[in-house]
Amino acid sequence: MNNRGEDPQIPEIEALHAQTGGAQVPLQPLPSSGAGTNISPAAVTRYQKKNGLKTHARREPAPLKDALHILKRNNTYHVISENYYYKTEPYYTILRYELEGKKVEPSSSSVLDAYVIPICLERAASAGIPVCEWGISQAYVPLPAILYGLNYFSTTLDYFIVDDSKKAKDVIKHITNNGKYPFCYQRYPEGAEIHTCTAIFGRTVGACNTIADYAGKIYEIFRIPLVKLVFVKAGGAFLLSSLSPTRYAQLSDSERALLSAYLSNQEFL
Amino acid sequence: MSRLGIFVDRKTLSNSEQLNALIRCRDVSEELGHDVDFIFPVDICKIPKMDALFIRARTDPMNITYVAARMAKFHGIPVIDDSESIQICSDKINMYSHLMKKSVSLPKTIFLSRNDLSVEHVSHLFDEMGSPLVVKEPSTSFSLRVEKVHSVAEFFKVARRFIKMSDWIVVQQFIESKYDWRIGVLDGKLLYACKYTIPSVTFKIQASVNGHLIYCGVESVPPDCVPPPVIQLGIDAANAIGSGLYGVDIKNNNGDAYVIEVNDNPSLESGEDTCYPLVYQTIVSHLLRT
Repeated sequence: MNNRGEDPQIPEIEALHAQTGGAQVPLQPLPSSGAGTNISPAAVTRYQKKNGLKTHARREPAPLKDALHILKRNNTYHVISENYYYKTEPYYTILRYELEGKKVEPSSSSVLDAYVIPICLERAASAGIPVCEWGISQAYVPLPAILYGLNYFSTTLDYFIVDDSKKAKDVIKHITNNGKYPFCYQRYPEGAEIHTCTAIFGRTVGACNTIADYAGKIYEIFRIPLVKLVFVKAGGAFLLSSLSPTRYAQLSDSERALLSAYLSNQEFL
Repeated sequence: MSRLGIFVDRKTLSNSEQLNALIRCRDVSEELGHDVDFIFPVDICKIPKMDALFIRARTDPMNITYVAARMAKFHGIPVIDDSESIQICSDKINMYSHLMKKSVSLPKTIFLSRNDLSVEHVSHLFDEMGSPLVVKEPSTSFSLRVEKVHSVAEFFKVARRFIKMSDWIVVQQFIESKYDWRIGVLDGKLLYACKYTIPSVTFKIQASVNGHLIYCGVESVPPDCVPPPVIQLGIDAANAIGSGLYGVDIKNNNGDAYVIEVNDNPSLESGEDTCYPLVYQTIVSHLLRT
Protein backbone atom coordinates (compact mmCIF):
# COMPACT_ATOMS: atom_id res chain seq x y z
CA MET A 1 0.00 0.00 0.00
CA ASN A 2 1.29 3.39 -0.86
CA ASN A 3 -0.50 5.75 1.41
CA ARG A 4 0.73 9.23 0.53
CA GLY A 5 0.94 10.21 4.16
CA GLU A 6 3.57 7.62 4.92
CA ASP A 7 7.25 7.83 4.26
CA PRO A 8 7.97 5.43 1.42
CA GLN A 9 10.75 2.97 2.06
CA ILE A 10 12.79 3.12 -1.08
CA PRO A 11 16.11 1.31 -1.05
CA GLU A 12 19.09 3.53 -1.69
CA ILE A 13 22.48 2.62 -3.05
CA GLU A 14 24.88 5.16 -1.71
CA ALA A 15 28.17 3.30 -1.67
CA LEU A 16 31.07 5.56 -2.51
CA HIS A 17 33.54 2.74 -2.94
CA ALA A 18 33.34 -0.62 -4.54
CA GLN A 19 33.11 -3.57 -2.23
CA THR A 20 35.91 -5.93 -3.17
CA GLY A 21 36.39 -8.84 -0.84
CA GLY A 22 35.09 -6.87 2.10
CA ALA A 23 37.63 -4.04 1.78
CA GLN A 24 36.73 -0.65 0.44
CA VAL A 25 39.14 0.60 -2.20
CA PRO A 26 38.89 3.75 -4.23
CA LEU A 27 38.38 3.03 -7.90
CA GLN A 28 39.98 4.46 -10.97
CA PRO A 29 37.42 6.05 -13.28
CA LEU A 30 36.47 4.23 -16.43
CA PRO A 31 38.41 5.44 -19.47
CA SER A 32 36.88 8.40 -21.30
CA SER A 33 34.56 9.08 -18.39
CA GLY A 34 31.42 11.11 -18.99
CA ALA A 35 28.29 11.14 -21.09
CA GLY A 36 28.85 11.29 -24.81
CA THR A 37 31.88 9.06 -24.76
CA ASN A 38 32.34 5.71 -26.35
CA ILE A 39 34.13 2.89 -24.57
CA SER A 40 35.59 -0.11 -26.27
CA PRO A 41 34.63 -3.50 -24.83
CA ALA A 42 38.35 -4.18 -24.20
CA ALA A 43 38.62 -1.00 -22.15
CA VAL A 44 35.77 -2.14 -19.94
CA THR A 45 37.59 -5.43 -19.29
CA ARG A 46 40.91 -3.66 -18.56
CA TYR A 47 39.14 -1.37 -16.14
CA GLN A 48 37.64 -4.32 -14.30
CA LYS A 49 41.01 -6.06 -14.00
CA LYS A 50 42.71 -2.89 -12.79
CA ASN A 51 40.19 -2.47 -10.02
CA GLY A 52 40.12 -6.05 -8.92
CA LEU A 53 36.60 -6.54 -10.19
CA LYS A 54 35.12 -9.41 -12.08
CA THR A 55 36.90 -9.59 -15.38
CA HIS A 56 34.84 -12.20 -17.10
CA ALA A 57 32.08 -10.07 -18.57
CA ARG A 58 30.05 -13.12 -19.52
CA ARG A 59 29.70 -13.96 -15.86
CA GLU A 60 28.32 -10.54 -15.00
CA PRO A 61 24.71 -11.35 -14.15
CA ALA A 62 22.06 -9.22 -15.80
CA PRO A 63 19.79 -7.39 -13.36
CA LEU A 64 16.48 -9.20 -13.00
CA LYS A 65 13.77 -8.43 -15.52
CA ASP A 66 11.76 -5.37 -14.46
CA ALA A 67 14.22 -4.66 -11.63
CA LEU A 68 14.27 -1.07 -10.48
CA HIS A 69 17.44 0.51 -9.10
CA ILE A 70 17.83 3.83 -7.34
CA LEU A 71 21.24 5.50 -7.19
CA LYS A 72 21.75 8.57 -5.04
CA ARG A 73 24.58 10.84 -6.06
CA ASN A 74 25.09 14.47 -5.09
CA ASN A 75 21.58 14.76 -3.69
CA THR A 76 20.01 13.48 -6.90
CA TYR A 77 18.12 10.22 -7.16
CA HIS A 78 18.75 8.34 -10.41
CA VAL A 79 16.02 5.84 -11.26
CA ILE A 80 17.32 3.01 -13.41
CA SER A 81 14.91 0.71 -15.14
CA GLU A 82 14.41 -1.15 -18.39
CA ASN A 83 11.50 1.11 -19.27
CA TYR A 84 9.83 4.22 -17.96
CA TYR A 85 6.42 3.88 -19.52
CA TYR A 86 3.53 5.97 -18.30
CA LYS A 87 1.74 4.36 -15.32
CA THR A 88 4.43 1.76 -14.63
CA GLU A 89 6.24 1.23 -11.33
CA PRO A 90 9.33 3.20 -12.50
CA TYR A 91 7.13 6.11 -13.64
CA TYR A 92 5.30 6.21 -10.31
CA THR A 93 8.59 5.92 -8.42
CA ILE A 94 9.85 9.03 -10.22
CA LEU A 95 6.57 10.79 -9.55
CA ARG A 96 6.77 9.94 -5.85
CA TYR A 97 10.22 11.54 -5.55
CA GLU A 98 9.01 14.62 -7.42
CA LEU A 99 5.99 15.01 -5.16
CA GLU A 100 8.26 14.75 -2.14
CA GLY A 101 10.30 17.61 -3.56
CA LYS A 102 13.38 15.46 -4.15
CA LYS A 103 15.63 15.89 -7.15
CA VAL A 104 15.16 12.89 -9.40
CA GLU A 105 16.41 11.90 -12.82
CA PRO A 106 14.86 11.32 -15.25
CA SER A 107 11.85 13.53 -14.53
CA SER A 108 8.35 12.25 -15.20
CA SER A 109 7.83 14.82 -17.95
CA SER A 110 11.14 13.84 -19.57
CA VAL A 111 10.16 10.20 -19.86
CA LEU A 112 6.83 11.16 -21.38
CA ASP A 113 8.65 13.42 -23.84
CA ALA A 114 11.15 10.71 -24.71
CA TYR A 115 8.53 8.11 -25.59
CA VAL A 116 6.21 10.39 -27.58
CA ILE A 117 7.98 10.50 -30.93
CA PRO A 118 7.22 14.04 -32.21
CA ILE A 119 8.14 15.60 -28.87
CA CYS A 120 11.27 13.49 -28.60
CA LEU A 121 12.40 14.58 -32.06
CA GLU A 122 11.59 18.26 -31.46
CA ARG A 123 13.62 18.30 -28.28
CA ALA A 124 16.50 16.40 -29.85
CA ALA A 125 16.54 18.68 -32.91
CA SER A 126 16.63 21.77 -30.70
CA ALA A 127 19.82 20.35 -29.13
CA GLY A 128 21.45 20.01 -32.55
CA ILE A 129 20.89 16.30 -33.10
CA PRO A 130 19.88 15.44 -36.68
CA VAL A 131 16.42 13.86 -36.62
CA CYS A 132 14.15 12.16 -39.13
CA GLU A 133 11.73 14.39 -40.99
CA TRP A 134 8.33 13.64 -39.43
CA GLY A 135 4.66 14.32 -39.87
CA ILE A 136 1.29 13.35 -38.41
CA SER A 137 -1.32 11.64 -40.51
CA GLN A 138 -4.56 9.76 -40.18
CA ALA A 139 -4.41 7.82 -43.44
CA TYR A 140 -2.01 8.99 -46.17
CA VAL A 141 1.74 8.48 -45.92
CA PRO A 142 4.51 9.31 -48.42
CA LEU A 143 6.51 6.14 -49.14
CA PRO A 144 8.91 4.74 -48.09
CA ALA A 145 8.40 5.61 -44.46
CA ILE A 146 8.77 4.47 -40.86
CA LEU A 147 5.49 4.43 -38.97
CA TYR A 148 4.86 4.72 -35.25
CA GLY A 149 1.58 4.59 -33.37
CA LEU A 150 0.67 7.69 -31.41
CA ASN A 151 -1.84 6.68 -28.81
CA TYR A 152 -2.35 5.24 -25.38
CA PHE A 153 -1.73 1.67 -26.56
CA SER A 154 1.32 2.22 -28.75
CA THR A 155 4.97 1.82 -27.83
CA THR A 156 8.11 3.12 -29.47
CA LEU A 157 9.39 -0.47 -29.54
CA ASP A 158 7.00 -1.04 -32.44
CA TYR A 159 8.05 0.72 -35.59
CA PHE A 160 7.23 -0.36 -39.10
CA ILE A 161 9.14 0.32 -42.28
CA VAL A 162 6.74 0.44 -45.21
CA ASP A 163 7.61 0.80 -48.85
CA ASP A 164 4.41 -0.15 -50.65
CA SER A 165 0.86 1.06 -50.26
CA LYS A 166 -0.64 -2.37 -49.47
CA LYS A 167 1.72 -2.89 -46.53
CA ALA A 168 1.28 0.74 -45.45
CA LYS A 169 -2.50 0.31 -45.39
CA ASP A 170 -2.27 -2.81 -43.22
CA VAL A 171 0.22 -1.25 -40.81
CA ILE A 172 -1.78 1.97 -40.52
CA LYS A 173 -4.92 -0.03 -39.76
CA HIS A 174 -2.99 -1.81 -37.00
CA ILE A 175 -1.25 1.15 -35.37
CA THR A 176 -4.29 3.44 -35.50
CA ASN A 177 -6.70 0.85 -34.12
CA ASN A 178 -8.71 0.89 -37.34
CA GLY A 179 -8.31 4.59 -37.97
CA LYS A 180 -9.27 5.71 -34.47
CA TYR A 181 -6.01 7.56 -33.77
CA PRO A 182 -3.51 9.59 -35.79
CA PHE A 183 -0.01 8.20 -36.29
CA CYS A 184 3.51 9.54 -36.81
CA TYR A 185 5.43 8.90 -39.99
CA GLN A 186 9.05 9.58 -40.84
CA ARG A 187 10.67 9.76 -44.24
CA TYR A 188 12.82 6.71 -44.91
CA PRO A 189 15.23 7.40 -47.78
CA GLU A 190 15.97 4.72 -50.39
CA GLY A 191 18.89 2.56 -49.29
CA ALA A 192 18.62 3.66 -45.68
CA GLU A 193 19.02 1.25 -42.81
CA ILE A 194 18.08 1.16 -39.15
CA HIS A 195 20.90 1.42 -36.64
CA THR A 196 20.28 0.89 -32.94
CA CYS A 197 22.46 1.22 -29.90
CA THR A 198 22.04 1.28 -26.14
CA ALA A 199 23.13 4.25 -24.07
CA ILE A 200 23.99 3.83 -20.40
CA PHE A 201 24.08 7.17 -18.62
CA GLY A 202 24.78 8.69 -22.03
CA ARG A 203 27.68 6.37 -22.79
CA THR A 204 27.89 3.72 -25.42
CA VAL A 205 30.07 0.65 -25.78
CA GLY A 206 31.63 0.00 -29.16
CA ALA A 207 29.69 2.69 -31.05
CA CYS A 208 31.24 5.15 -33.50
CA ASN A 209 32.12 8.65 -32.29
CA THR A 210 29.11 10.26 -33.97
CA ILE A 211 26.63 7.98 -32.21
CA ALA A 212 28.55 8.29 -28.95
CA ASP A 213 28.30 12.08 -29.21
CA TYR A 214 24.54 11.93 -29.92
CA ALA A 215 24.04 9.51 -27.02
CA GLY A 216 25.72 12.00 -24.69
CA LYS A 217 23.55 14.86 -25.95
CA ILE A 218 20.40 12.77 -25.62
CA TYR A 219 21.32 11.99 -22.04
CA GLU A 220 21.80 15.70 -21.36
CA ILE A 221 18.27 16.36 -22.68
CA PHE A 222 16.26 13.52 -21.16
CA ARG A 223 18.56 12.20 -18.37
CA ILE A 224 17.38 8.64 -18.99
CA PRO A 225 20.06 6.24 -17.69
CA LEU A 226 19.17 3.28 -19.86
CA VAL A 227 17.69 3.79 -23.29
CA LYS A 228 17.80 2.35 -26.77
CA LEU A 229 18.52 4.85 -29.54
CA VAL A 230 17.03 4.13 -32.95
CA PHE A 231 18.67 5.91 -35.88
CA VAL A 232 18.09 5.91 -39.60
CA LYS A 233 21.43 5.72 -41.36
CA ALA A 234 21.21 7.35 -44.76
CA GLY A 235 24.00 8.70 -46.92
CA GLY A 236 26.52 8.32 -44.13
CA ALA A 237 24.46 10.41 -41.72
CA PHE A 238 22.62 9.19 -38.63
CA LEU A 239 19.15 10.66 -38.05
CA LEU A 240 17.39 10.01 -34.75
CA SER A 241 14.12 8.14 -35.24
CA SER A 242 13.07 7.30 -31.70
CA LEU A 243 14.05 6.42 -28.15
CA SER A 244 12.72 3.22 -26.72
CA PRO A 245 13.00 0.99 -23.65
CA THR A 246 15.60 -1.73 -23.53
CA ARG A 247 15.84 -5.06 -21.78
CA TYR A 248 18.61 -5.97 -19.35
CA ALA A 249 18.76 -9.36 -21.05
CA GLN A 250 19.50 -7.72 -24.40
CA LEU A 251 22.56 -5.83 -23.14
CA SER A 252 25.89 -7.05 -24.43
CA ASP A 253 28.44 -8.34 -21.90
CA SER A 254 30.35 -5.05 -22.01
CA GLU A 255 27.18 -2.97 -21.65
CA ARG A 256 26.17 -5.14 -18.71
CA ALA A 257 29.56 -4.57 -17.11
CA LEU A 258 29.26 -0.81 -17.61
CA LEU A 259 25.77 -0.77 -16.10
CA SER A 260 26.98 -2.85 -13.16
CA ALA A 261 29.82 -0.39 -12.60
CA TYR A 262 27.25 2.41 -12.29
CA LEU A 263 24.86 0.40 -10.13
CA SER A 264 27.60 -0.44 -7.65
CA ASN A 265 28.97 3.10 -7.71
CA GLN A 266 32.23 1.84 -9.21
CA GLU A 267 31.65 4.39 -11.93
CA PHE A 268 30.54 7.84 -10.82
CA LEU A 269 27.91 9.99 -12.42
CA MET B 1 -5.91 41.19 -33.76
CA SER B 2 -4.60 37.79 -32.72
CA ARG B 3 -4.91 34.29 -34.06
CA LEU B 4 -6.44 31.58 -31.88
CA GLY B 5 -5.94 27.92 -32.73
CA ILE B 6 -8.64 25.55 -31.53
CA PHE B 7 -7.18 22.03 -31.52
CA VAL B 8 -9.81 19.41 -32.31
CA ASP B 9 -9.76 15.75 -33.16
CA ARG B 10 -12.75 14.74 -35.21
CA LYS B 11 -12.29 11.16 -34.03
CA THR B 12 -13.19 12.17 -30.48
CA LEU B 13 -16.13 14.39 -31.41
CA SER B 14 -19.05 12.26 -30.34
CA ASN B 15 -22.15 14.42 -30.66
CA SER B 16 -23.61 17.54 -32.24
CA GLU B 17 -23.48 19.44 -28.92
CA GLN B 18 -19.67 19.23 -28.97
CA LEU B 19 -19.62 20.54 -32.53
CA ASN B 20 -21.98 23.40 -31.62
CA ALA B 21 -19.78 24.30 -28.65
CA LEU B 22 -16.74 24.54 -30.94
CA ILE B 23 -18.64 26.82 -33.31
CA ARG B 24 -19.78 28.95 -30.38
CA CYS B 25 -16.17 29.26 -29.22
CA ARG B 26 -15.10 30.30 -32.72
CA ASP B 27 -17.95 32.86 -33.00
CA VAL B 28 -17.15 34.40 -29.64
CA SER B 29 -13.46 34.69 -30.55
CA GLU B 30 -14.29 36.35 -33.84
CA GLU B 31 -16.67 38.76 -32.09
CA LEU B 32 -13.73 39.72 -29.90
CA GLY B 33 -11.81 40.53 -33.07
CA HIS B 34 -9.57 37.46 -33.31
CA ASP B 35 -8.97 35.11 -36.21
CA VAL B 36 -9.65 31.48 -35.49
CA ASP B 37 -8.19 28.33 -37.05
CA PHE B 38 -9.41 24.86 -36.24
CA ILE B 39 -6.28 22.73 -35.98
CA PHE B 40 -6.60 19.02 -36.61
CA PRO B 41 -3.89 16.48 -35.72
CA VAL B 42 -2.45 16.50 -39.24
CA ASP B 43 -2.07 20.31 -39.00
CA ILE B 44 0.04 20.19 -35.87
CA CYS B 45 2.89 22.04 -37.60
CA LYS B 46 0.61 25.14 -37.76
CA ILE B 47 0.73 25.56 -33.98
CA PRO B 48 3.84 27.83 -34.02
CA LYS B 49 1.90 30.29 -36.22
CA MET B 50 -0.81 30.76 -33.57
CA ASP B 51 -0.88 33.35 -30.79
CA ALA B 52 -2.69 30.96 -28.45
CA LEU B 53 -3.99 27.42 -28.48
CA PHE B 54 -7.22 26.08 -26.97
CA ILE B 55 -7.28 22.27 -26.93
CA ARG B 56 -10.77 20.85 -27.23
CA ALA B 57 -10.14 17.13 -27.64
CA ARG B 58 -9.79 14.21 -25.27
CA THR B 59 -6.48 14.72 -23.50
CA ASP B 60 -3.94 12.10 -22.49
CA PRO B 61 -0.13 12.22 -22.15
CA MET B 62 0.16 9.44 -24.70
CA ASN B 63 -1.94 10.99 -27.43
CA ILE B 64 -1.81 13.82 -29.94
CA THR B 65 -3.24 16.44 -27.55
CA TYR B 66 -0.12 16.15 -25.41
CA VAL B 67 2.01 16.69 -28.51
CA ALA B 68 -0.05 19.82 -29.28
CA ALA B 69 0.33 21.15 -25.74
CA ARG B 70 4.11 20.51 -25.71
CA MET B 71 4.54 22.06 -29.16
CA ALA B 72 2.77 25.19 -27.92
CA LYS B 73 5.04 25.30 -24.88
CA PHE B 74 8.22 24.87 -26.99
CA HIS B 75 7.17 27.90 -28.99
CA GLY B 76 6.11 30.02 -26.01
CA ILE B 77 2.44 29.99 -27.02
CA PRO B 78 -0.19 30.24 -24.27
CA VAL B 79 -2.17 27.01 -24.20
CA ILE B 80 -5.18 25.51 -22.45
CA ASP B 81 -4.71 22.70 -21.47
CA ASP B 82 -1.01 23.00 -20.71
CA SER B 83 1.01 19.79 -20.78
CA GLU B 84 1.57 19.75 -17.00
CA SER B 85 -2.19 19.87 -16.38
CA ILE B 86 -2.74 17.08 -18.91
CA GLN B 87 -0.06 14.97 -17.23
CA ILE B 88 -1.53 15.50 -13.76
CA CYS B 89 -5.26 15.35 -14.47
CA SER B 90 -5.08 12.38 -16.86
CA ASP B 91 -3.60 10.21 -14.13
CA LYS B 92 -5.62 9.92 -10.93
CA ILE B 93 -2.57 8.82 -8.93
CA ASN B 94 -0.82 12.03 -9.91
CA MET B 95 -3.95 14.16 -9.52
CA TYR B 96 -4.90 12.87 -6.04
CA SER B 97 -1.26 13.12 -4.94
CA HIS B 98 -1.28 16.83 -5.82
CA LEU B 99 -4.55 17.32 -3.94
CA MET B 100 -3.24 15.44 -0.88
CA LYS B 101 -0.08 17.50 -0.90
CA LYS B 102 -2.20 20.65 -0.58
CA SER B 103 -4.52 19.03 2.01
CA VAL B 104 -7.58 19.34 -0.20
CA SER B 105 -10.60 17.50 1.23
CA LEU B 106 -10.99 14.08 -0.41
CA PRO B 107 -12.79 10.84 0.36
CA LYS B 108 -10.38 8.38 2.03
CA THR B 109 -8.05 7.48 -0.81
CA ILE B 110 -5.17 5.08 -1.12
CA PHE B 111 -3.07 3.78 -3.97
CA LEU B 112 -2.38 0.10 -4.44
CA SER B 113 0.52 -1.25 -6.42
CA ARG B 114 0.49 -4.62 -8.13
CA ASN B 115 2.45 -6.08 -5.19
CA ASP B 116 -0.12 -4.86 -2.67
CA LEU B 117 -2.92 -6.99 -4.07
CA SER B 118 -3.38 -9.62 -1.37
CA VAL B 119 -6.60 -10.87 0.20
CA GLU B 120 -5.38 -9.76 3.64
CA HIS B 121 -4.59 -6.30 2.44
CA VAL B 122 -7.85 -5.84 0.60
CA SER B 123 -9.89 -7.17 3.54
CA HIS B 124 -8.13 -4.62 5.71
CA LEU B 125 -9.17 -1.89 3.27
CA PHE B 126 -12.84 -2.85 3.62
CA ASP B 127 -12.43 -2.74 7.40
CA GLU B 128 -10.76 0.66 7.27
CA MET B 129 -12.76 2.39 4.56
CA GLY B 130 -16.12 0.63 4.70
CA SER B 131 -18.15 -1.01 1.99
CA PRO B 132 -18.65 -0.46 -0.86
CA LEU B 133 -15.30 0.76 -2.13
CA VAL B 134 -14.68 2.55 -5.40
CA VAL B 135 -11.83 1.19 -7.56
CA LYS B 136 -10.40 3.38 -10.29
CA GLU B 137 -7.92 2.75 -13.07
CA PRO B 138 -5.79 5.91 -13.01
CA SER B 139 -6.35 7.11 -16.56
CA THR B 140 -10.08 6.66 -16.63
CA SER B 141 -12.23 9.38 -18.13
CA PHE B 142 -16.01 9.74 -18.24
CA SER B 143 -16.19 7.18 -15.39
CA LEU B 144 -15.18 4.48 -17.88
CA ARG B 145 -12.93 2.43 -15.59
CA VAL B 146 -14.51 3.25 -12.24
CA GLU B 147 -16.27 0.43 -10.39
CA LYS B 148 -18.05 0.08 -7.08
CA VAL B 149 -17.20 -3.17 -5.26
CA HIS B 150 -18.89 -4.72 -2.23
CA SER B 151 -16.66 -7.71 -1.45
CA VAL B 152 -13.08 -8.91 -1.62
CA ALA B 153 -13.95 -11.25 -4.48
CA GLU B 154 -15.59 -8.43 -6.43
CA PHE B 155 -12.60 -6.22 -5.69
CA PHE B 156 -10.16 -8.71 -7.21
CA LYS B 157 -12.33 -9.21 -10.27
CA VAL B 158 -12.12 -5.48 -11.00
CA ALA B 159 -8.54 -4.95 -9.82
CA ARG B 160 -7.16 -7.73 -12.03
CA ARG B 161 -8.70 -6.00 -15.03
CA PHE B 162 -7.37 -2.56 -14.08
CA ILE B 163 -3.88 -3.67 -13.06
CA LYS B 164 -3.28 -4.82 -16.64
CA MET B 165 -3.49 -1.17 -17.65
CA SER B 166 -1.58 0.41 -14.79
CA ASP B 167 0.91 -0.76 -12.16
CA TRP B 168 -0.96 1.26 -9.55
CA ILE B 169 -4.70 1.65 -9.00
CA VAL B 170 -6.82 3.93 -6.83
CA VAL B 171 -9.09 2.72 -4.05
CA GLN B 172 -11.49 5.20 -2.55
CA GLN B 173 -14.19 5.44 0.06
CA PHE B 174 -17.67 5.58 -1.51
CA ILE B 175 -19.56 8.80 -0.89
CA GLU B 176 -23.27 8.63 -1.62
CA SER B 177 -24.86 11.61 -3.37
CA LYS B 178 -27.68 12.41 -5.76
CA TYR B 179 -25.62 14.98 -7.60
CA ASP B 180 -22.06 16.23 -8.03
CA TRP B 181 -21.14 19.87 -8.10
CA ARG B 182 -18.95 20.82 -11.05
CA ILE B 183 -16.98 23.97 -10.32
CA GLY B 184 -15.30 25.46 -13.39
CA VAL B 185 -12.14 27.32 -12.50
CA LEU B 186 -9.86 29.37 -14.73
CA ASP B 187 -6.61 30.79 -13.40
CA GLY B 188 -7.75 30.33 -9.80
CA LYS B 189 -11.11 32.08 -10.27
CA LEU B 190 -14.64 30.72 -10.47
CA LEU B 191 -15.72 30.46 -14.11
CA TYR B 192 -19.00 28.59 -13.79
CA ALA B 193 -20.83 26.14 -11.57
CA CYS B 194 -23.35 23.45 -12.33
CA LYS B 195 -24.86 20.30 -10.90
CA TYR B 196 -24.44 16.89 -12.48
CA THR B 197 -27.43 14.83 -11.40
CA ILE B 198 -26.46 11.17 -11.08
CA PRO B 199 -28.92 8.81 -12.82
CA SER B 200 -30.70 6.59 -10.28
CA VAL B 201 -29.53 3.39 -12.03
CA THR B 202 -25.82 4.17 -11.57
CA PHE B 203 -23.36 6.04 -9.37
CA LYS B 204 -21.41 7.52 -12.27
CA ILE B 205 -21.97 10.63 -14.39
CA GLN B 206 -21.99 8.38 -17.45
CA ALA B 207 -22.59 4.65 -17.60
CA SER B 208 -23.63 1.87 -19.89
CA VAL B 209 -26.74 0.21 -18.50
CA ASN B 210 -28.16 -2.78 -20.37
CA GLY B 211 -26.32 -1.66 -23.48
CA HIS B 212 -27.66 1.91 -23.32
CA LEU B 213 -25.49 4.91 -22.53
CA ILE B 214 -26.95 6.84 -19.60
CA TYR B 215 -25.81 10.42 -19.06
CA CYS B 216 -26.17 12.60 -16.00
CA GLY B 217 -28.46 15.60 -16.02
CA VAL B 218 -26.79 19.03 -16.17
CA GLU B 219 -28.13 22.09 -14.39
CA SER B 220 -26.24 25.36 -14.52
CA VAL B 221 -26.37 27.13 -11.15
CA PRO B 222 -25.76 30.87 -10.58
CA PRO B 223 -22.88 31.64 -8.20
CA ASP B 224 -25.06 32.95 -5.39
CA CYS B 225 -26.90 29.60 -5.25
CA VAL B 226 -23.72 27.56 -4.79
CA PRO B 227 -22.58 26.99 -1.18
CA PRO B 228 -19.50 29.20 -0.69
CA PRO B 229 -17.44 26.32 0.83
CA VAL B 230 -18.06 24.31 -2.35
CA ILE B 231 -16.79 27.17 -4.52
CA GLN B 232 -13.75 27.64 -2.29
CA LEU B 233 -12.99 23.91 -2.31
CA GLY B 234 -13.21 23.91 -6.11
CA ILE B 235 -10.78 26.80 -6.35
CA ASP B 236 -8.39 25.22 -3.83
CA ALA B 237 -8.43 21.94 -5.76
CA ALA B 238 -7.80 23.68 -9.08
CA ASN B 239 -4.94 25.68 -7.57
CA ALA B 240 -3.37 22.43 -6.35
CA ILE B 241 -3.05 21.40 -10.01
CA GLY B 242 -2.11 24.60 -11.81
CA SER B 243 -3.41 27.86 -13.22
CA GLY B 244 -5.31 26.58 -16.26
CA LEU B 245 -8.93 25.64 -16.91
CA TYR B 246 -10.36 22.88 -14.74
CA GLY B 247 -13.69 21.31 -13.88
CA VAL B 248 -13.68 20.19 -10.26
CA ASP B 249 -16.21 17.52 -9.24
CA ILE B 250 -17.34 17.82 -5.65
CA LYS B 251 -19.71 15.79 -3.52
CA ASN B 252 -21.40 17.76 -0.76
CA ASN B 253 -22.68 15.15 1.65
CA ASN B 254 -24.30 16.20 4.97
CA GLY B 255 -22.37 19.45 4.89
CA ASP B 256 -19.00 17.80 4.23
CA ALA B 257 -17.60 18.59 0.80
CA TYR B 258 -15.13 16.24 -0.90
CA VAL B 259 -13.33 16.62 -4.20
CA ILE B 260 -13.97 13.57 -6.36
CA GLU B 261 -11.68 14.67 -9.16
CA VAL B 262 -10.19 17.57 -11.06
CA ASN B 263 -10.65 17.44 -14.82
CA ASP B 264 -8.61 19.26 -17.38
CA ASN B 265 -10.46 20.02 -20.62
CA PRO B 266 -13.85 20.20 -18.86
CA SER B 267 -16.99 19.72 -20.94
CA LEU B 268 -18.80 22.91 -21.92
CA GLU B 269 -21.30 21.59 -24.39
CA SER B 270 -24.15 20.31 -22.25
CA GLY B 271 -25.42 23.52 -20.70
CA GLU B 272 -22.83 23.75 -17.93
CA ASP B 273 -22.47 27.48 -18.62
CA THR B 274 -26.11 28.50 -19.22
CA CYS B 275 -26.03 30.90 -16.25
CA TYR B 276 -22.55 32.12 -17.25
CA PRO B 277 -22.80 33.66 -20.74
CA LEU B 278 -19.25 35.02 -20.62
CA VAL B 279 -17.41 31.71 -20.22
CA TYR B 280 -15.91 31.60 -23.71
CA GLN B 281 -15.15 35.34 -23.70
CA THR B 282 -13.28 34.88 -20.43
CA ILE B 283 -11.29 31.89 -21.72
CA VAL B 284 -10.36 33.54 -25.01
CA SER B 285 -9.44 36.84 -23.33
CA HIS B 286 -7.32 34.92 -20.81
CA LEU B 287 -5.47 33.09 -23.57
CA LEU B 288 -4.92 36.14 -25.75
CA ARG B 289 -4.23 38.72 -23.07
CA THR B 290 -1.31 40.91 -24.00
